Amino acid sequence: MFDVLTVLQLYWSFLKIGITSFGGMSMIPLITSEMMGHGWMEASEISDIVAIAEMTPGPLGLNCATFAGLKAAGIVGACAANLGVLTPSFTLAILAAIFFAKFKESTIMQRILVGVRPSCIAMVIGVIFTLSMSNYVTDAGISPVAVIISIVDIALLRFAKLGIPTVIIISAVIGIVVYGVAGF
Amino acid sequence: MKKNESDIVEKKISSNISRKTSIGTLFTDFLKFGLFTFGGGWSIVAQMEKIYVEDRKVVSSHELLDLTSVGRSLPGTMIGNIAILFGYSQQGIPGALVSLFAMILPPFLVLLIVASCYTAFRTNFWVASAMSGIRCAVVPIILTAALKMFNGAFKFPPCYFVTVICVLLYVFFNVSCVYLVIFGAVCGLIISDFYARKEV
Repeated sequence: MFDVLTVLQLYWSFLKIGITSFGGMSMIPLITSEMMGHGWMEASEISDIVAIAEMTPGPLGLNCATFAGLKAAGIVGACAANLGVLTPSFTLAILAAIFFAKFKESTIMQRILVGVRPSCIAMVIGVIFTLSMSNYVTDAGISPVAVIISIVDIALLRFAKLGIPTVIIISAVIGIVVYGVAGF
Repeated sequence: MKKNESDIVEKKISSNISRKTSIGTLFTDFLKFGLFTFGGGWSIVAQMEKIYVEDRKVVSSHELLDLTSVGRSLPGTMIGNIAILFGYSQQGIPGALVSLFAMILPPFLVLLIVASCYTAFRTNFWVASAMSGIRCAVVPIILTAALKMFNGAFKFPPCYFVTVICVLLYVFFNVSCVYLVIFGAVCGLIISDFYARKEV
C-alpha cells in the first residue's frame, strides 16, 4: 500500500526539520527545501500548506508535517512526518524535563530562572507584537472591524471569564456574521 | 514581618494540598488544547494558564513560565516540548507521552479530513469568514494570559530591563529565542548574585 523508502525518507526529512528549527514559521524554508528536493510537492502546494496549517487547529509545524506527509505517502507518511518533527520532543524534551524536575529547586537554577522568566515574558510580548501586525494591519491600514472584535474578545475573557474554546467558537460565529453575512 | 511569615507557611501548605493532574485528565485536557490551538504555540500556553493556574491551581504562573521557556529554547515544536514538560511534571514519562499524544491527535484528524478536500476548504467563503473571526481572538487570548503571567516574573527591579532588552532584540533584530533564554540566564545569575551580596 505504501512505499517504505518514501516513508523512511519522510521521517528522516522531518527529523532534520525538527532538530534544526524552533517551531512555527521558522520551519517553512526547511520544509520547502526538503519537499521540493524530494519532488514530493510543488512550490504552489507549499503555500497551500501554510494556508491550511493556519486554518486548522494545532501548531503550524505539526500541521505542515501532516499535510506534507499525506501528500507524499498517505496516512502512514503523515504519521512518519509527525514522528520526525516530534523526535526532539520525545528525546531532548524528556531529558530536559527529568533534569529540570531534579534541579529546579537548586540555588543556581533559581538564580538562572530569575533572568529567564523576564526573557520569556519578552518573547510573549514579541509574539503579540508580530501577531498584531499581521492580524490588524492590512494594506489599507488598521482594520477597525478586527480591532472591535478583539475588544469584544478581551471583554469575554477578562470580565465574563469565559473559557478559551468558548471564546474561539464565539469569534468564529462573529466572523461568519460580520465578514460573511454583513460583508465587511 | 509576621504577616510575611504566615504567608509563606500558607503558600507551603497550599502547594502541598494541590494535587497532581491524573493521566486521564491530562489526556482530555490536552485533547481540548490541541483542538483549540490557533495562531501558534502561545495560545496553548494561554489555555494552560487559564485551566492549570487560574481554575485548578495545579501550578503557579511562574512554574508555567519556567516550563514555557525551557520548551521554547529546545529544538522542535514548542508546544510538543511544553506538553512533554508539563506532562512529566504531573505524571512522569507516561504523563508526558499521554499529553503529547492527546495534543497532536485532534489537529491530525482534522487535517486528514481537510486535506482530502483542501482546495474546496481553502476557497470556501464561510470558512474564510469564520477564520477571520478566530484570527481576531488570537491576540486577545495570548494577551490576557501574558498579563497574568507578569505576576511573579519580575523578582528584582532590573528584571524589567531584561524584558525590555529582549523585546528589542526579538522584534527589531530577530534574535533567536535560544539566545534570549541564554541571555536571560546570564542576567539572572548576575542579578541574583548582586542582590544576594547586598542582603549579606
